Amino acid sequence: MGAEMSDGDTASDTRGCGGEVAAYALGALDPAEVDTFRRHLETCSVCRDELAAFESVVRVLPLSTPAHRAPAELRRNVMHAIASEPKSAPAARTATRRAPTRWRLPRPALGLAAALAVAAAAFVGINAAGSGTPATRIIHAQVTGQGSAELRLSGDHGELVVNHFSPPPTGQIYEVWLKRGTGSPKSIGLLFSPTAAGQANVDVPGSLHGVSLVMVTPEPAGGSPRPTHSAVISAPLT
Amino acid sequence: MPLVYDGDAQAFEVIFDRHGDAAFSLAYRMCGRRSTAEDVVQEAFVSLWRSGAAYDRARGSVRSWVLGVVRNRAIDLFRRESVRTGRDVNAEGLVEQMHASDDTEDTVERREDAQQIRAALQELPPDQRQVIELAYFGGFSHSQIASMLELAPGTVKGRMRLGLTKLRIALGGPSGAVI
Repeated sequence: MGAEMSDGDTASDTRGCGGEVAAYALGALDPAEVDTFRRHLETCSVCRDELAAFESVVRVLPLSTPAHRAPAELRRNVMHAIASEPKSAPAARTATRRAPTRWRLPRPALGLAAALAVAAAAFVGINAAGSGTPATRIIHAQVTGQGSAELRLSGDHGELVVNHFSPPPTGQIYEVWLKRGTGSPKSIGLLFSPTAAGQANVDVPGSLHGVSLVMVTPEPAGGSPRPTHSAVISAPLT
Repeated sequence: MPLVYDGDAQAFEVIFDRHGDAAFSLAYRMCGRRSTAEDVVQEAFVSLWRSGAAYDRARGSVRSWVLGVVRNRAIDLFRRESVRTGRDVNAEGLVEQMHASDDTEDTVERREDAQQIRAALQELPPDQRQVIELAYFGGFSHSQIASMLELAPGTVKGRMRLGLTKLRIALGGPSGAVI
């Protein structure tokens, strides 16, 4: 199982770094620690070995749960739900990852959103997901603070994928907004919080046809009818 | 999986049939409510359907992939709605045990694995088992656990490490029975 050594690898646990490995394998590092630890992993073969060992344990932990039969109704509901999903070409469900870009949306963001959307287009990667896959676009969203976010567009459907992103402030939650043309951002009642590892996969319901900007703001728990904070994620579609 | 990648609903149905019980069991263990667990599993499978191409064989089995998505969905829900009914990680709350008459060779083998993993967890010192279960099934970060248990963060991380090390030895011994 040994991890391959590379230039610059440390061959021993001289920094006491092993203390982070188990928490990382369990998804229990705080978001701010995840990036640091991942950078450390690149240069520490000891931690890579230990992580591989721990991940093999963590993978089987779900098997320790008492076994229940999934209700037949659940199976029917799942199959019904996917039947109503657009049956996109395989390439349309393929995504590629790009390095995140960062910017800060100023406080009076809402009034300036349209202008920012245009300006941001110059900084945002809008890519087909590899050769021969024109149906998928990956839009690298602008993120305030740490982490990255991308909007994966398959036809009119969008999925917001967030990585290494900070949790919302205590008592708040992230809310997704859609902006069409020069109109105000509209809530679609979509709330989320990233996992402890800072990850979230958020399916944006409905069509994004005509949407010029997908944005995320921290809002009071339960959501808000209109944005009350500056955007922390902003993905211009134009 | 290639068929799921191609958008084959029948192939996806097979994926559900193979892993739906484990997915529901995990969600139920985490959420503690049957209806919530069903919602989590449904969300997870719809997400898997949409992202079938994201499965990477090099990173583990389909089951691990499915259960990873289920776990992430449950944790999303915890964060979103402060639903933590599964917080008492020692509560088993069985409602529907699977019936022996439904067993196949595969499920028998899986049950034996499950028994081995459960036994290994039970063999852990309670303080180590507790932090592992709070992290994995409760979705809590080490600092949250430290706060809940009034421990230093380093103590929590140390217990996690000791616990996982012991589990690895118990499960991955010479026979390599499970992992």
